Amino acid sequence: MGMAATAATAGRLLRLRAAGTEGPWRRLRAAGLPRGFLQPASADGDAAQRRQVAHFTFQPDPEPLEYGQTQKMNLFQAVTSALDNSLAKDPTAVIFGEDVAFGGVFRCTVGLRDKYGKDRVFNTPLCEQGIVGFGIGIAVAGATAIAEIQFADYIFPAFDQIVNEAAKYRYRSGDLFNCGSLTIRSPWGCVGHGALYHSQSPEAFFAHCPGIKVVIPRSPFQAKGLLLSCIEDKNPCIFFEPKILYRAAVEQVPIEPYNIPLSQAEVIQEGSDVTLVAWGTQVHVIREVASMAHEKLGVSCEVIDLRTIIPWDVDTVCKSVIKTGRLLVSHEAPLTGGFASEISSTVQEECFLNLEAPISRVCGYDTPFPHIFEPFYIPDKWKCYDALRKMINY
Amino acid sequence: MGVSSPAFSPQHSQRQQQHFSSLDDKPQFPGASAEFIDKLEFIQPNVISGIPIYRVMDRQGQIINPSEDPHLPQEKVLKFYKTMTLLNTMDRILYESQRQGRISFYMTNYGEEGTHVGSAAALDNTDLVFGQYREAGVLMYRNYPLELFMAQCYGNVSDLGKGRQMPVHYGCRERHFVTISSPLATQIPQAVGAAYAAKRANANRVIICYFGEGAASEGDAHAGFNFAATLECPIIFFCRNNGYAISTPTSEQYRGDGIAARGPGYGILSIRVDGNDVFAVYNATKEARRRAVAENQPFLIEAMTYRIGHHSTSDDSSAYRSVDEVNYWDKQDHPISRLRQYLQSRGWWDDEQEKAWRKQSRRKVMEAFEQAERKLKPSPSLLFSDVYQEMPTQLRKQQESLARHLQTYGEHYPLDHFEK
Repeated sequence: MGMAATAATAGRLLRLRAAGTEGPWRRLRAAGLPRGFLQPASADGDAAQRRQVAHFTFQPDPEPLEYGQTQKMNLFQAVTSALDNSLAKDPTAVIFGEDVAFGGVFRCTVGLRDKYGKDRVFNTPLCEQGIVGFGIGIAVAGATAIAEIQFADYIFPAFDQIVNEAAKYRYRSGDLFNCGSLTIRSPWGCVGHGALYHSQSPEAFFAHCPGIKVVIPRSPFQAKGLLLSCIEDKNPCIFFEPKILYRAAVEQVPIEPYNIPLSQAEVIQEGSDVTLVAWGTQVHVIREVASMAHEKLGVSCEVIDLRTIIPWDVDTVCKSVIKTGRLLVSHEAPLTGGFASEISSTVQEECFLNLEAPISRVCGYDTPFPHIFEPFYIPDKWKCYDALRKMINY
Repeated sequence: MGVSSPAFSPQHSQRQQQHFSSLDDKPQFPGASAEFIDKLEFIQPNVISGIPIYRVMDRQGQIINPSEDPHLPQEKVLKFYKTMTLLNTMDRILYESQRQGRISFYMTNYGEEGTHVGSAAALDNTDLVFGQYREAGVLMYRNYPLELFMAQCYGNVSDLGKGRQMPVHYGCRERHFVTISSPLATQIPQAVGAAYAAKRANANRVIICYFGEGAASEGDAHAGFNFAATLECPIIFFCRNNGYAISTPTSEQYRGDGIAARGPGYGILSIRVDGNDVFAVYNATKEARRRAVAENQPFLIEAMTYRIGHHSTSDDSSAYRSVDEVNYWDKQDHPISRLRQYLQSRGWWDDEQEKAWRKQSRRKVMEAFEQAERKLKPSPSLLFSDVYQEMPTQLRKQQESLARHLQTYGEHYPLDHFEK
């Protein structure tokens, strides 16, 4: 987990290298980096060495007008804002996890320890099962616990505490006890170079667990509203934050707190021919696919951001498929057992006679998340476009 | 670690900020506060002469060192005795009821009654208890009625847990006893979190967390100890070292000096006590409580005892230990008989009272038992509630689907035993 800082530094250096700029490189070298750690790119800019651009284009939503004054925020700043609002409003709320005290490896908690005190924003030892177990205990005692797991890839030591304990606390006690005031936040999804252990999307593991909620935002505005809802929700929630959007996604976000409801999918674009469903970063991919389909095929797509994985909004998705007759679901996580399977299965039950074509799933391959092969692994717009085209021509 | 310091040795680590000076030949490492040594020597773990076991009474219930006698009033000590014996009686009857197919499962507390009662008595009633599954005496000391013990074991309509869990998974909000769960040691980091919240709330409350020596091998135990120490939590870790984790003896559970020896490794004040000596348990817990709350730091108490009964009704311990071994503890070193001898030597109890109490406690248990058996089980619709605070749409559909299914196929289900 100490790789994160190294990864972040390496990432920055690689971007500079790709840009082919000598100046900043010299400055960094002067800052004391070991000689020979990274050689600058050759002067003529070797195209084969240049890293890929992002596989999506972040589409900001129009400025929200109903929540008061807004400010330009990226996704990590929107998270900070939500956390700030929460700690201001709820004196029992505490934030904890690895490295949150100095601001967090993704800067989500910058400034909060100074503002609210070291008893409210603090580091824990390096132990995910401890972080979640500890968080459950805080919640059982009636206080608000906001736990951070540094990367979703590292949530697995806490799986027992989440699945066997947090999810079942209320049910098994006959509602005598609960840990509803627990929220677990964790960076999620592909980032361009994260490989096996800094890119995972583990929502499917948790989808199979009644008693918790799993929520994934596509943007800063969505992130703040959904995170606030998770924190205030009376059930333990896991909030996955698409790390590739932390800096890349920027839009106007209200300064004051506001809530976006959980278990409600959002139709972000209406259409009549095909329903496209995704969550997190992938929403921006399918949005682009919808444009491509309109342009190249004259096809009208309805684009849905699922937002909450469990309990999921079956009605909105089914209502859409009844209208369009075609469904494409896309996620980075591997195909087999991925959450698209659940959506596909339910939709074919509910909308069988409305379907014009088999439901299409465009997902990651059934492999661990690779490093150098990431551009081939991810369900990019070309794969989605191709699957859509096949559906239309079915 | 070759540390065999007695009782609560004052080693609460206040990590000193080392003053960096390149001129000094002293160690400058941030990771440890220690001197250099130029002799190569491995620290010998001390398991031959381990951490000594604190006790107040001998095996015949006589006070050894009068200055350690807690001088508890007669009423209180009688409550200790009656709680332990009532628990013992309830255990016998419920164990039998499982054998007869009346309840599905049971776990007895034979031999460990002293650990429950001694510790429970040293706490405030509002101190939050996180248990493992062999701490029914703590709940009993807090006056949890027989009716509710039975209701949970039978899963009947009176069960506060709404029939959701196997027997002995008790819980009681009113008595600050967090509902038991089967996975071992999961309660340990949770208890630490609750203690942290109590500290922040200035609640003057200690959290106590019980677990066995087997559960102490789980990663969650390590996590809990480390968090409690680094985050300075008012918590008592109470380990019941009863010699066995189902069939696994302690020699296969750990190789160090038990659980107490681990405490100092985390920076935790630790003590080992005679778990069959209810006064020793009481004294240690009382002092730990006082200091945990006053100083916001964790304490580890390892109560040595012996599991006289089988692990559960699914276990036959004659498969892995001798009857002689079990008999020794039952006859020669039992918390109940040691306390009885104490009571008798004080003139606070005699054979007649013993006979009368046995009859009375047995009758109370039998009454509660018969009533529990007669009650219906909760309505099957309660299968679906409390998964979330609010019932999700899809789950309501599943609930309706079961209701419809029962309308057609109800005859194949034991509906007569359940409320509508």
